[in-house]
Amino acid sequence: MKFTKILKKLALAAGLAAGLAQPVSAWTLEEAAKPYAGTTIDVVFLLRPGYEAAEKMLPEFESKTGIKVNIIKHPYENALGEQVRDFVAGGDLDIALIDLVWIGNFAENGWIEPIDKFTSNPELTDPNLDLDDFFPLVINAFGGWNGTIYGLPFDNYSGLLFYNRCMLEEAGFTGPPESWTELMYVYGPRLTGDGKYAYALQSKRNETQSADSFARMLWPFGGSFLDENFRSNLLSPASQSGLKFRQDLMQFMPPGIVSYDHAETVNGLAQGDVAMITEWSAFYATLKNPSTSKIVDCLAIAPEPKGPAGRKPALGGFSMAVASQADEDEQAAAWLFIQWVTSKENAKKYLELGGVPARQSVYNLPGVAEQYDYVPALVESWQDGVPEFRPRFAEWPEITEIVQEWGTKIMLNEVTTEEGAQILGERMEAVLDEAGYYSGSKPLAQ
Amino acid sequence: MRAVSQKKRNSTASQGILLLIILVFCIFPFYWMVTTSLKDQIVALQTPPAWVFEVTFGNYTEVLFKDGVWENLLNSLIIAVCTTFLSIFLGCPAAFALARFEFRGKKDLWFWFITNRMVSPIVLALPFFLIVRNLKLLDTHLVLILIYLTFNLPIVIWICTDQFRAIPRDLDEAAVIEGASQWRIFRSICLPLAAPGVAVSGIFSFIFSWNELMYALVLTRNNAKTAPAMAVSFMEGYNLPYGKIMATSTLIVIPVIIFALIASKQLVRGLTMGAVK
Amino acid sequence: MKGKVRRRTIFAFLGPAIVSLAVIGIAPLLFAAYTSLHNYNLTKLRKVKFIGLDNFTFVLTDPVFWDAMQRTFSLLVIVLPLQLLIGLGIALLLHQPGIGLLKTLTRLSLVVPMATTYSVVGLLGQVMFNIKYGVVNQLIGFIGIEPVNWIGDPENAFIAVAFWDVWQWAPFCALVLLAGLTTVPSEIEEAARLETPSWWIVLRHVQLPYLIPGITAILILRTADTLKLFDMVFTMTRGGPGSATEFVSLMIQRIGFRAFDQGLASAQALILLVVTIVLSQLYIRYFYKEVQQ
Repeated sequence: MKFTKILKKLALAAGLAAGLAQPVSAWTLEEAAKPYAGTTIDVVFLLRPGYEAAEKMLPEFESKTGIKVNIIKHPYENALGEQVRDFVAGGDLDIALIDLVWIGNFAENGWIEPIDKFTSNPELTDPNLDLDDFFPLVINAFGGWNGTIYGLPFDNYSGLLFYNRCMLEEAGFTGPPESWTELMYVYGPRLTGDGKYAYALQSKRNETQSADSFARMLWPFGGSFLDENFRSNLLSPASQSGLKFRQDLMQFMPPGIVSYDHAETVNGLAQGDVAMITEWSAFYATLKNPSTSKIVDCLAIAPEPKGPAGRKPALGGFSMAVASQADEDEQAAAWLFIQWVTSKENAKKYLELGGVPARQSVYNLPGVAEQYDYVPALVESWQDGVPEFRPRFAEWPEITEIVQEWGTKIMLNEVTTEEGAQILGERMEAVLDEAGYYSGSKPLAQ
Repeated sequence: MRAVSQKKRNSTASQGILLLIILVFCIFPFYWMVTTSLKDQIVALQTPPAWVFEVTFGNYTEVLFKDGVWENLLNSLIIAVCTTFLSIFLGCPAAFALARFEFRGKKDLWFWFITNRMVSPIVLALPFFLIVRNLKLLDTHLVLILIYLTFNLPIVIWICTDQFRAIPRDLDEAAVIEGASQWRIFRSICLPLAAPGVAVSGIFSFIFSWNELMYALVLTRNNAKTAPAMAVSFMEGYNLPYGKIMATSTLIVIPVIIFALIASKQLVRGLTMGAVK
Repeated sequence: MKGKVRRRTIFAFLGPAIVSLAVIGIAPLLFAAYTSLHNYNLTKLRKVKFIGLDNFTFVLTDPVFWDAMQRTFSLLVIVLPLQLLIGLGIALLLHQPGIGLLKTLTRLSLVVPMATTYSVVGLLGQVMFNIKYGVVNQLIGFIGIEPVNWIGDPENAFIAVAFWDVWQWAPFCALVLLAGLTTVPSEIEEAARLETPSWWIVLRHVQLPYLIPGITAILILRTADTLKLFDMVFTMTRGGPGSATEFVSLMIQRIGFRAFDQGLASAQALILLVVTIVLSQLYIRYFYKEVQQ
C-alpha cells in the first residue's frame, strides 16, 4: 500500500511539472476567450423553451468572454431554408443549428467543421469537455455523420407518452399502456366517447407528419423507410402493418387529426379532451404550467409504448456546430460558446431554466429525477433508439416532402396504405437514384 | 299615393338591411382579431369562444416591448413610405409619356410595365437574395424599397396613365402654343389635375408594400425585418400564442386601415381604371 | 400636335422607370431562366449541370403540377365571378340614392378587408375557422348547423380559402365598380331611368360600357393575384390537409424553398408567368379597347 502512495505522489509531481511547463492546464473560459473578446458570433435560434433557457444564460457567457452572441430567431419551419441560403451565399452565420435530419446535408456540403479541429487545440478546449458524458445515442445521432462528430447536442428531445392519469383511473386503468396494441384495443374503446378521445397523433403536413406520425408508427412494428440496399422498405409486411395500425388507430383520435400540429395536440391533452399523446419531452413545461394546462395534477409520463419490434421512440433534437464560412476568430469564439452552453457544469442550470440537456451526469444528480418527473422515461428512451428514425442523409429535405404529401393522403384515405407506400417508395427511390446511391458513387449512409 | 310611399319605405328598409349586412360582413373579422388580441391564452383557446371576457393588454405590452415589434412596425413604415414615393416619382412621368406622347411600341411598353406586376415573387426572391448578398445589402431597408418597385411601379403607371389620358388635351395644347416645355405642362397642368389618381396609386403602393410577406421573409433578418414577417415568425408549431399573434396583427392592420379610411374618398374617384367621359 | 415631341423628351420621361424596372425585375428573371435550364439544387451546388429543357418537360408531365394548376384555376373560376357579382351588387346598392350616413359607413367599411394584411387574414382564419374554439362554428351553431371541420377536411379547407378570398377582394371589386358607376354622366342615366323602370336595362345598356375598363382591370389583377396567391393560404393551411389547398404558388415555394430544387421551381414559375401573361393579353384583347387606341 505504501508503494501505491509513492506512485501517486510521483504522478502528482509529474503532473505539476507538466503543469508548470504548460500553463494551459489551468484552463479557464475567461483565459481562453481573451484573444476573441469583441468578436460577434451569429446563430439561429428557434422559438422554443430550450432556446429561451440558453438566452437567459447568455449574459454570463458574454460578460466572462467579451464575445457577443447575436441571436436570429426563426420558427422551425423557416430555420432550414434560412440557414441553407446563408451558407450557400457565404453569409454571416458562425454557428449552424442542426436538426438531426439536416446533419448529412450540412456535413456533405462542407458547411460545418468537425469538432476535432477544436478539441485538438488545448487552448480552446475545456479539459472537462467529457464527450462520453453525452448520451451516446444522442451525440451520435444529433451531432455525428458518417463516423465524424460535428456538433454537440444542444436542444434534445425524445418522444414520451404523456397521459391524463385521472382519465385513465376513471376508466379503470392503473397505469399507462405498455404496448401500442394495448393502447388501441384495450385503452382506445374505453377512453373514447362523449367528445373525449383516447389518443391524438399530431399529423400536420409538415415535418410533424414525417417525424411524429409516419415514422412513429413505422419503427415499433419493425418497419423502416429503407432496406439495407437503400431501396424502399415501405411495402414490407412490417412497414405495412405499422401504417395500417395508424389508420385503425384514427378511430380513437379527434377528427381532423391531419391538421393537428404539436400545439393542437398538446392543447387537447391540456384541456382534458384527449387522454394520451406521444409528444416531445420539451412539452413538459407547457403541460405542467397552470396557465396553459388544466391537467397539471393529473399529468403523468411514461416511455412510448412498445411495438412488436420493441420500443422505438421518436428521436429528435438539435446540435450546434461551428460554421466553415466563419473566419478563424469567429470559429474559435463559436466553439467556446457551443462548448460552454452544452457543458456538464451548465447542464443543471439549463435544465432548471427549461432546457433538456443531453448530459448523463445531470440526470444522476440527487433530486433531479424527483423534481422533473419525465426524467426516468427520458433516460430510458435514450438508452436504445434508432438514429436513422428519419434518415439523416442530405436527401432528407426532398424525401420528407414526399412523405408529408403521401403520408397525409394515406391518412385521409385518398389512397390505400399499399398504393401510398408504392408511390412514396418510387419517388423516394427516384431522389436517391438521382443522388447516386444506386450507382455506387455515394456510400449508403443514413 | 300611399302605396308608392309604402313601397319606397320598404325599399329603403331593405336597402338599409343590406347595407348593414355588408357592413357587419366587412368588419366582423377585424372585430374578432381585436378582441382575440385582448384575451389571455386560456380564454383565446376556450370552447365555445368567449364574447364577454376580462380584457388584458398583456399581449400588446409583450409584443411591443419584449419582442420589439415596434421596431418592425417602424421598418415597415420606412420601407412602405420610401417605396411609395419612389414609385410615384418614377411612375408619374412614365405614365404621362404613355398617355400623351406617340411613339412606336407604346402598347407593348405599357404591357411590359403591367407584366412586372404578374411575376410571382417566388421566382425573383432567390435570385434577388443571391445578388443582394453579393452587394452586401442583405437585411437593409434599401433592398425591400427597391424590390417593391416591381409591383408598385406597374400599379402607379397603370392608374396614372388612365388619369392623364382623362385630362382634355386642349389644355396642354394651349400651353404648347405659349411655348411651355413638356416638363412644365406635366408639372404645372396635368399633375395637379391627375392628383386623385396619383393619390390612389400611392395608397395602393403603400398598402401592397406594407402587407408584403414573401420578400420580407427571404431578404431580411433583424435590422430590416417588417411587421408581417414578424407576425408569421410567432407561428411556431410548438405553441399557439394566438393572443400575441392577433395583437401583432392588429398593430399591423390598424395603421393601414386608418390610412385607407382617410383616403377612401379618393379611392372611388381614382379607381376608374381608364373609364373616361 | 402628335409626333412633335422629341425622342429625348420621351426618353427623359420614360427612362427612369424603364431602367429601374429592367435592372430590378429583369436581372433576377434572367437568373431564374438560367437556373431553369440546370439541375440547380441549393444543397447540391457542386453538382449543378446543364440539362436543357428537362425541367420543363418534367413540369409539363408532372401530375402534381397539373393538380396544383387545376386547383388554382378551380379557385379562380369559383371566386372571381363571385367577387364580381357581389362587388357589382354592393356598388349598385351604394350608387342608389338613400340613407346617407349608413352608405358612407358601408363604403368606409369596404376598405377594411382590402387593407388587411394577407398573411394576417390567414392567421385570423386559423383562429376563426378552428373546429373547437373557432367563432365560425359557434355562429353557424346558432342557426342549428353542426360544427364543421373547416381546416382539417380537404373540401372544407378549400371552401374556407375561397371564402376568405371573396371576403377580402369582393369589396375591392365594389370600389372599382362604384368608381366606374360615378363616371356615367348623370344626364344620360337619369334620362334612361325615365324611359324604363328596369334597373337591368339601365345596367346593361347605359352603365355597363362605363364599367368595362374596371371589370377588365379586376380580371387582370385578380387573375394574376390568384395565380400568385400565397400568403393567406400559407399562414392558414400551408397547402393542407393533404394537398387540398396546395395552389400553384405554394407548390413552387415548397419545391424551391423546402426541397431546394431551384431549377425545377424556376421552370414552374416561368410556365406560370407565361400562363398569366397569355390570360392578361386575352382579357385586354377582348375587353380593354381603351389601351389599343
